[in-house]
Amino acid sequence: MMSEAIVPAGNPFWTYFIFSVLLILTGLYCITVTRNLIRVLIGMELMTKGATLILAAAGYLTGNTGVSQALIITLIVVEVVVIAVAAGIVIGWYRKTGSLDTSAMNSLRG
Amino acid sequence: MTSLLLILPLAGFILANLPAGRAFRRMCIVLPLVLSAVQVLLTLFPKASWWTAGNAAGLSLGFLRIDGISMLMLLAIGLVVFASSLISTATVRDERKNRSFVNLVLLSLLGMNGVVMVTDIFTLYVFLEIVSVCSFVLIALQREQAMFEGAFKYVVLSAVATMLMLTSIGILFLCAGGTSFTDLSSMIARNHADYTVVFAILMFIVGLFIKGGIIPFHGWLPDAYSSAAAPVSILLAGIVTKVSGVYTLIRLVVEVFGATPKTSQVLLFMGALSIVAGALAALGQKDFKRMLAYSSISQVGYIILSLGAGGALGIAGAVFHLFNHTIFKTQLFINAAAVEAQTGSRDLDAMGGLASRMPVTGATSVVALLSAAGIPPLAGFWSKLVIVVALWKAGHPVYLAVAVLASLLTLAYFLVLQRKVFFGTVAPGCDSVKEAGWRITGPSVAFSLIIIAVGVAVPFLLDTILLPIGRML
Repeated sequence: MMSEAIVPAGNPFWTYFIFSVLLILTGLYCITVTRNLIRVLIGMELMTKGATLILAAAGYLTGNTGVSQALIITLIVVEVVVIAVAAGIVIGWYRKTGSLDTSAMNSLRG
Repeated sequence: MTSLLLILPLAGFILANLPAGRAFRRMCIVLPLVLSAVQVLLTLFPKASWWTAGNAAGLSLGFLRIDGISMLMLLAIGLVVFASSLISTATVRDERKNRSFVNLVLLSLLGMNGVVMVTDIFTLYVFLEIVSVCSFVLIALQREQAMFEGAFKYVVLSAVATMLMLTSIGILFLCAGGTSFTDLSSMIARNHADYTVVFAILMFIVGLFIKGGIIPFHGWLPDAYSSAAAPVSILLAGIVTKVSGVYTLIRLVVEVFGATPKTSQVLLFMGALSIVAGALAALGQKDFKRMLAYSSISQVGYIILSLGAGGALGIAGAVFHLFNHTIFKTQLFINAAAVEAQTGSRDLDAMGGLASRMPVTGATSVVALLSAAGIPPLAGFWSKLVIVVALWKAGHPVYLAVAVLASLLTLAYFLVLQRKVFFGTVAPGCDSVKEAGWRITGPSVAFSLIIIAVGVAVPFLLDTILLPIGRML
């Protein structure tokens, strides 16, 4: 039915998309490899930044900059709340155990 | 006046934080109880004029909408929040923590009500995050080491899920030029074979799998459930993951993404995998709440399987089992809370013969586990029957066999649980155990009555509520 893809191969979106995917993969790599809880938070931030870039590019390329601005500002607010709570949990963990090592987080299993 | 379901919890949250005297603050403990009771009463009369009042005057918010399935979920949300808040008054003694619990429960009530009513995928994301953030704090509320660990695992996996969903929203936004459900569903109906669109849909579904704790994305779920305090794990297991993962999946697959053969295949396979792996993992658990958590994964598998079978019957089965699961799992976690509060332990091997010491908890737990295992005439039997019939009609004999055989596994691990905790001779150290207070046994009895009532009234419910839900979507 469709002869051409909805986002064709030459579309400038794919340039933005490649960079966002790189950012997201960097974030995922950071989360999986690091042993420091703060770096896990940084990895989470990197991933969200990649997703934000996709939203910004989508708004810019479809001409819906107004909508995408609204979405991204909301997204940034939500993201700040999440990261603040996550940092609070890391602080709580540090006060309990005195370490920021992820390998100490293994008391729950089964 | 559907927007009041969002405004009232928010107003309650503000009220609970006013700089007033101590007596006033202590009064605020009743706020979640009152609000959830009101919500339950309102949803029991879905045809009342209250629901449409004010729409003509432009008082309702444009992105909210209520239909049969939202109404059913609003009822379930009200019931679980009520039970959880009542139990928190008995188990969370510290006054400051109790206030934090009240605040967070009100916010997550707001978020869950939002999730079940929105018609816009980005607004859906915002409400999902409200619910998740509240659960992060709730898990870590008592500030024990295991709680921080459970909460942190949940935060990290939830961040990955959020990233997948946001990327998917970005791509769908690029393709459709808007984020409302109607924009997206018409765009997806036109381009359902396009690789970009399929990629975006699959990413969103995987994000929801993580939120709902489907195997193999379940890593956070047993840790979060078992480390959290009793009222929090009731809230989490009973409703939070069901609303944020499973309900959202049903809603989006049915209304936005459309039941294409590819998504059905994915859902059927993941559902069957979850059922079997969850049940096998539950068999080997030594911790009361961990066993319930794995059983939760297994039961959510049934819902996904039914959704994958598709058709009016499959969707009705998914919604019905979602509701039943909410009821019996809440009840089992209430009983776990009762046992933990009275014996101070969750270790299955250290308990035994508690039925003679805690007769109410023992009896209600039999009702809940028989419903979970699908024994007639309890509610869980009927929803599993609907699922099996839906699978048969859709022509999936292998998945049907998996669903039926895994029911035996369900029965097996619940019988292990019941025998170790409640039956047999009284274990040493459990001699002086007494029945829990009415604030814990009350909700437990109420939920088992709901299970029995739904099971007995099922012919009526099937024709009036469930099949219309399946057809309407």
